[in-house]
Amino acid sequence: MKLMETAVEKWSGAIQEVTLGAGADAGGTRTSTIKVGGAAALPFMDFEGVTPNAPVVAMEVWDCEPTDWPAPLREALGDVVKDPAEWARTCVEEYGADAICLKLANTHPDEGNTSPQEAAAVVKAVLAATSVPLIIWGCENDEKDNDVMPVCSQAAAGERCLLGAVTEDNYKTLVAACQADGHSLIGLSPIDINIAKQVNILVSEMGFPLDRMVMYQTTGALGYGIEYTYSIQERGRLAALGADKMMALPVICMVGQEAWRAKEAKATAEEQPTWGNADTRGVYWELATAATLLQAGSDIMVMRHPDAVRALKGVVGNLMK
Amino acid sequence: MKTYTATFLPENKTVTAVKGKSLLEAAAVAGIRINSICAGDGVCGKCRVLVKSGKVTAKPNMFLTRREIQRGMALACQTYVAGDVIVEVPLESRSGAAPILAPEDALRYGRESEWIDDEARFRRQPLSRKLFVELPPPTLDDALCDQERLFRELRKHQDIPVMQMGLTILKQLPAVLRDSDWKITVLLGRRGDTLEVVDIEAGDTTGSHFGLAVDLGTTTLVAQLVDLCNGATVSTQAKYNSQAACGEDVIARMMCANDPARREELKQMVVDDINDLLNALLLDSGAKAHDVTYVMCAGNTVMTHLLLGLDPANIRRDPYIPSVSEPPVIRASEIGLGINPRGLLAVLPCIASYVGGDVVAGVFFSGMASSDDVSLLIDMGTNGEVVLGNREWQVCCSASAGPSFEGGGITCGMRATNGAVERMDLESGGRVTRCDVVGGGKPLGLCGSGLIDLVGELQRVGCIDRKGRFVHNACGDRLRKDETGALEFVLFSTDETVLGREITLSEADIRNLIHSKGSIYMACECLLTYVDMTFSDLAHIYVAGGFGSYLEVPKAIRLGLLPDVDHERFQFIGNASLQGARMALLSQDALAFIREKIGASMTYLDLSSSPQYMNEYSSCLFLPHTDLERFPSVTQASAPALATTG
Repeated sequence: MKLMETAVEKWSGAIQEVTLGAGADAGGTRTSTIKVGGAAALPFMDFEGVTPNAPVVAMEVWDCEPTDWPAPLREALGDVVKDPAEWARTCVEEYGADAICLKLANTHPDEGNTSPQEAAAVVKAVLAATSVPLIIWGCENDEKDNDVMPVCSQAAAGERCLLGAVTEDNYKTLVAACQADGHSLIGLSPIDINIAKQVNILVSEMGFPLDRMVMYQTTGALGYGIEYTYSIQERGRLAALGADKMMALPVICMVGQEAWRAKEAKATAEEQPTWGNADTRGVYWELATAATLLQAGSDIMVMRHPDAVRALKGVVGNLMK
Repeated sequence: MKTYTATFLPENKTVTAVKGKSLLEAAAVAGIRINSICAGDGVCGKCRVLVKSGKVTAKPNMFLTRREIQRGMALACQTYVAGDVIVEVPLESRSGAAPILAPEDALRYGRESEWIDDEARFRRQPLSRKLFVELPPPTLDDALCDQERLFRELRKHQDIPVMQMGLTILKQLPAVLRDSDWKITVLLGRRGDTLEVVDIEAGDTTGSHFGLAVDLGTTTLVAQLVDLCNGATVSTQAKYNSQAACGEDVIARMMCANDPARREELKQMVVDDINDLLNALLLDSGAKAHDVTYVMCAGNTVMTHLLLGLDPANIRRDPYIPSVSEPPVIRASEIGLGINPRGLLAVLPCIASYVGGDVVAGVFFSGMASSDDVSLLIDMGTNGEVVLGNREWQVCCSASAGPSFEGGGITCGMRATNGAVERMDLESGGRVTRCDVVGGGKPLGLCGSGLIDLVGELQRVGCIDRKGRFVHNACGDRLRKDETGALEFVLFSTDETVLGREITLSEADIRNLIHSKGSIYMACECLLTYVDMTFSDLAHIYVAGGFGSYLEVPKAIRLGLLPDVDHERFQFIGNASLQGARMALLSQDALAFIREKIGASMTYLDLSSSPQYMNEYSSCLFLPHTDLERFPSVTQASAPALATTG
């Protein structure tokens, strides 16, 4: 005889399901497409409701060699970073990345200032080298992105890529491009639940469908504001499950980018002899950040280090069992 | 040294000016007062004038655009005479200390509500009262002294426990009694529980007896001459607060008042302003200053301090403590008010540093503190205040809305005086289909209600998005870049306006308005959350402030300034501060009620320490609100999807 009923939270809403990548049937060339979102319960609380899709582990690839990445990270990736297509292929084939996040860092006016056409060529090369869904991220210079992203969007037309990022101050150009070329897009907000929602409303009021949007609420690494990120993502998730449709979008986290900025990840053994093995310290930092944010409700984890990717895939697998 | 002439329009006053004298100095010689907040340092940009003809030299400045300079616009303090010149001083550049407002403007600011409040709730028994008495002359059998004789007679008329008479009156008493054949008029004034014989006059003068109710606004002062015999309002006058020259908001005034000499100067400015208003009222009504015996002022805590010459310094320092919340009744002449020299001055109590007598007056006047129903009072001024409650309790907070409702901080903003656009409708493309201008004629600028209409309409027709950003292709050629590269929307072109200056709106203007409306709405939400209620629990929402009366409810809701509830629940009560002061002037019971029932039962909620406020403020910085569901009537009738190119 049961003495007590288990109290189960009943949710009235669910996260919007978003499909990344288009196969031949949908007019694209991807052989693997991914669904993200769809959860009708808090993360991994399978007794509360369904979580149809596991969090996705994507890997970050740049359009130029990232010279300022810490040594353990560069050594783990090797020479492939000199060629974006090769780098992307290695991530998928050797490290098991579910998707590639191509960052167009070299288009920034202060960096290579490459042209929209050059950027589009990189996009095409990466698409050709891989068959997984592609995330394309601009250089975060509004004016340049507004030049580059529409061209890249067109180059990848039909592939249902995920393009980012739009902000409340600069969204119209990218929304129009994604609308025309059938892509999805990322809405960026600076750790502010209200602004996240405002971006979503602004974009959807241009007639852009909610089932093609993902939120980036900004990621804070372990020790560098992760509690803010956690709390904002969790609040967003609670609002979404409480039937706030404008908040019910999958969430992307830029884990690698933030974790490898932490001095705990970057410091060499000479600089910090008491901090343990410098080769694994950064990997753990990246993994700990990712594992924490999974619990807050995250759907796409963009990682950098192959070991962190493998370990995170293990964590996700265990949690989804 | 060469000497030229400078002529100022529209006065057509000509003065001589040596070469190199600034237009600001020349104007001062001509007796024309030009706005100059920075006192000629060239940093405030308020002293714009139009050089019609003649040669001038000017220092470069960042306030005028190339187009404006080509049209002859100049900053008076940075422009120097280099030939015989003719200069027009536009309305907007005239100093606040300039003439009393036009009568229609006075009415605007002193506007009483059309909704009839039950004034009979409080017995009409003014704080100051004239009584005609006929004393029996003394005899050997009835040998009371003159003073006791008068007191005995007064007690026959009303039960007065404590009576007082000063030496000044005592000195006059024997002669006045005997010269008037023992028939005199006694002026009685109330100070706390004591009734004072304020003045005595020979014969019966009870027919002419007046009081003055004053709304002591940060920006605008309004005074009403009230006939204390019958309670009628004789005349109303309004005037800009001369202290504006020392800062537009109370914080700036407090900083200014740090210096004791400046504090005295500030006090003198506001006293002079009240005296100006008094003189205008007397002129208008034919009453005599001697017959005005009581002044009742309602003002925010800072203004109250400045009027009395008190140091407001601690109001802005943590933990924000005023010197006094219930100032004593004093002789009006003590601070230099020009009424009957023995007349009294009372000030309505201030609850907290940022909730003053003006709010208390508003709560009282709205009647919310006498009702079982819970209502909300929103006072929309520079320092907005919100009060929630009923007869048993009230909670209040201040919401610093900023000056945008009064046209401040807006490129083409102005107060609601002649030439201000107060209402407007737009159609797609941002074309104006209706435009009401105060006083008729061509527009000069935008006042608060016009600005609210404009932004709401721009959003409705799709020219701006919900964040207040322009949508390029929806605005067409009305949108352009200014010299700094920022976008501006041209509402009226040069030939459509009074001064030949375009009326434009920038994204920064829209942002200012959104911040103002957000802080008001958020303050309402915070109070409601604090007592665990929602807008739907409210019986009435009273909107006070001269500006409030001109709001159109649907447009204020579209903007997210007012909550989306049944329109019938809104009641515009006009200048509640002034009307509350008037009621307190006319009824001792009303004043007692204000002190005991409102002053003592109100709780002040400090929003700056409320986590909810900080957390959710950004949700209000959207049109109408981030949670669109809170504004169903607005979002259901939403515009079609915006066009899709940047």
